[in-house]
Amino acid sequence: MQRIFSQCIKELSQFRRNRLTLALAFLLPLMTLIIFGFAIRLEVKNIPLAIQDLDNTPLSRAYIERLFATNKFIAPNEQVQGYKAPEVLIDRGLAKAAIIIPSGFNAQIKNGKASPVQVLIDATDTNNARVINNIIQATTRAFLRSSKIQPILDKIIPKTRIWFNPGRRESLYIVPGVYALILWVYPSLLTAIAMVREKEQGTMLQVYASDLSATELLLGKGLAYLIVAIGQSLCIMIIGAVIWGLKLAGSAMPLIFGTLIFTADAVAFGLLIGVRASNQNAAIQVVSLIGFLTALLLSGFIYPLSNIPFPLSLVSSIVPARYYIDITRDAYVRGTGWAGVWFSFGMLVILGLFLFNMARTGLKKMQLL
Amino acid sequence: MLIESMPWLEKLFNSRFWALVQKEINQILRNKQLIILLIFPPTIQLLIYGYALNPDVHNIKLGIVDYAHTNTSRELIAALTKNRIFLDQKYFLREVDLATEVEKGGITAGLIIPPNLSRNMAQDKPTEIQVFIDGVDANQAGIASGYLNQIFSQFNRQLTGNLTPPLINPQAIFLYNPGLRSSWFFVPGVLGVVLTLISSLTSSITVVKEKDLGTLEQLLMTPAIAWEILFAKITPLFILLLGDVVLALSIGKLVFKVPFQGSLFLFFFLSGIYLFVGISIGIMLATLCRTQQQVVLTSFFINLPMIQLSGAIAPIESMPTFFQYISLFDPLRHYVAITRGILLKGVGLEVLFPHAIALVLFAVVLMSISVNRFRSQLS
Repeated sequence: MQRIFSQCIKELSQFRRNRLTLALAFLLPLMTLIIFGFAIRLEVKNIPLAIQDLDNTPLSRAYIERLFATNKFIAPNEQVQGYKAPEVLIDRGLAKAAIIIPSGFNAQIKNGKASPVQVLIDATDTNNARVINNIIQATTRAFLRSSKIQPILDKIIPKTRIWFNPGRRESLYIVPGVYALILWVYPSLLTAIAMVREKEQGTMLQVYASDLSATELLLGKGLAYLIVAIGQSLCIMIIGAVIWGLKLAGSAMPLIFGTLIFTADAVAFGLLIGVRASNQNAAIQVVSLIGFLTALLLSGFIYPLSNIPFPLSLVSSIVPARYYIDITRDAYVRGTGWAGVWFSFGMLVILGLFLFNMARTGLKKMQLL
Repeated sequence: MLIESMPWLEKLFNSRFWALVQKEINQILRNKQLIILLIFPPTIQLLIYGYALNPDVHNIKLGIVDYAHTNTSRELIAALTKNRIFLDQKYFLREVDLATEVEKGGITAGLIIPPNLSRNMAQDKPTEIQVFIDGVDANQAGIASGYLNQIFSQFNRQLTGNLTPPLINPQAIFLYNPGLRSSWFFVPGVLGVVLTLISSLTSSITVVKEKDLGTLEQLLMTPAIAWEILFAKITPLFILLLGDVVLALSIGKLVFKVPFQGSLFLFFFLSGIYLFVGISIGIMLATLCRTQQQVVLTSFFINLPMIQLSGAIAPIESMPTFFQYISLFDPLRHYVAITRGILLKGVGLEVLFPHAIALVLFAVVLMSISVNRFRSQLS
């Protein structure tokens, strides 16, 4: 026990002395939090919508007005000129969508016949193409109903409520995910660098020669970086709470224990890479490539996990970040507590033990005793 | 043409510059790590981004409490699940059970059909049906509720037997990506991300390595001047990186069937300019740092904001205004706009010129800064 603590204290004082790693430990997480937290937003607001009204009657104008009244659309900087194709505006990126109202629109409808309206949507961004299409469809239905053109007596009326996040604030979804990304990448990076540095400088051989066991060495180093990681998590969570007004929705216990276990997992991953990698560059590249790719793409951070296709979904089920994201989203949005996250918590514990054990066996092979 | 330029070629082959280029080529070919770096990370990144990021809204797990148990209620459930947007995951007997299951995250949406549905139907009175959606994933919840309303209104028309279609019928045409395949959005963006990472990393490594080993001083002792040393370093790297562009493009084409609508020549021309931007960033990093480790760590500070503000992953239009302005100073943003423009939209310079000019400016400014720094470090 004593040896673990002294190893930990030695590691912490080394960490403090290196200015680059200190900056890496606290500036980078902050920068990542701010950039990811602000810049990752999926739903576009103020969509530039080009209009080509070939009918130009009170009805068509009322319809257009109704579309803009949703406050989702704005007029593009350039208008469609006469009969020219509005695709040009979309090609040039000036408009995200265009609506073409055919001549005879008013007459058709007054005769009780359906009039098609062509909607061109820029689908380079597939997610927003769907959102735009939904808004136009919904607004058209609302227009038909409210303008009494086609009074439909609805027999069933859906009363839709959005639970937990009624305002659909995207920061509530993204920021808890950013926590997972940061607390996965940076603690493991720091740990891996510390581990490899010892190898590169040859001090590892001294450790091998001493009677310190592999487990003790890893626990000592791990503990030091776990303490750093806890510092990082406090730092980003406080700042996250201040900037985006994130409040805990339920009990804090699952979040506290989940964060402890998750950062321990990250440190264990760093130890594993550190044991395996031969030099610091390799370690950094592996951690940043694997760490970022898995925590960003295979964790359900941006889009639902259920959309990941089969062989990749297997990989994603051993990504700790995905389980931690469950815990943070529950803590900040749902507030269910242990009943909702016990499985994720258990998986974090199992994956952590597995990672640590792999690092231990890897190191043991190199030791003589 | 080759014969005409023979004297010129001969001059080139006998020049000091060419000797240095040959030295660099030999060094690169011997460096296995660099070759691996050029092939594997780009491939893995493109594949994972293309497959894993998918905003499709389908198979939303729906929990159902059906108090009515009539034909209508079953038809409604069938209408909701038939397009695979919703999946009837679980039936519950009580609302409370449904609510706890949503809280646990087992299901994402709930539908409660009240017992008075059949009575109301008989009396021609409207019935309110409660639907709720888990709003944790704000984006998915928004799209799902849009679909839900669409399905309900279609179902209503069926119920009333009102078969006249809605009088205004917006027919959506999805330009550039009619099948709404998400990989078509991500692959051109990630192509830019991959080139940024790989070009800055490899160029900084080749420069720093020489610094690390102290051989840069030896090079300096030779009559070669700074720009000759630097451009001899860049030239073979540039060609290898162009190979990466081809690699990324073929993965996009073969694996994800991403279309290539525009001009191939323009694409390679602008990609070449962008590679210069990446290479200059790498050299600049190399002049700032002493060891390879420092290079990789400081590159985080540059690469992270560059990638996140580029629109490769999340659309620029949805960022806060302030970040949208910052993104104008992100060369990757312009390159991503160019790749999407050429690959998906098939537009040419007449549309892309602002981005192309921006790229050229970035390349010139960054290249002259890095050459200057390199030279001042040498002397």
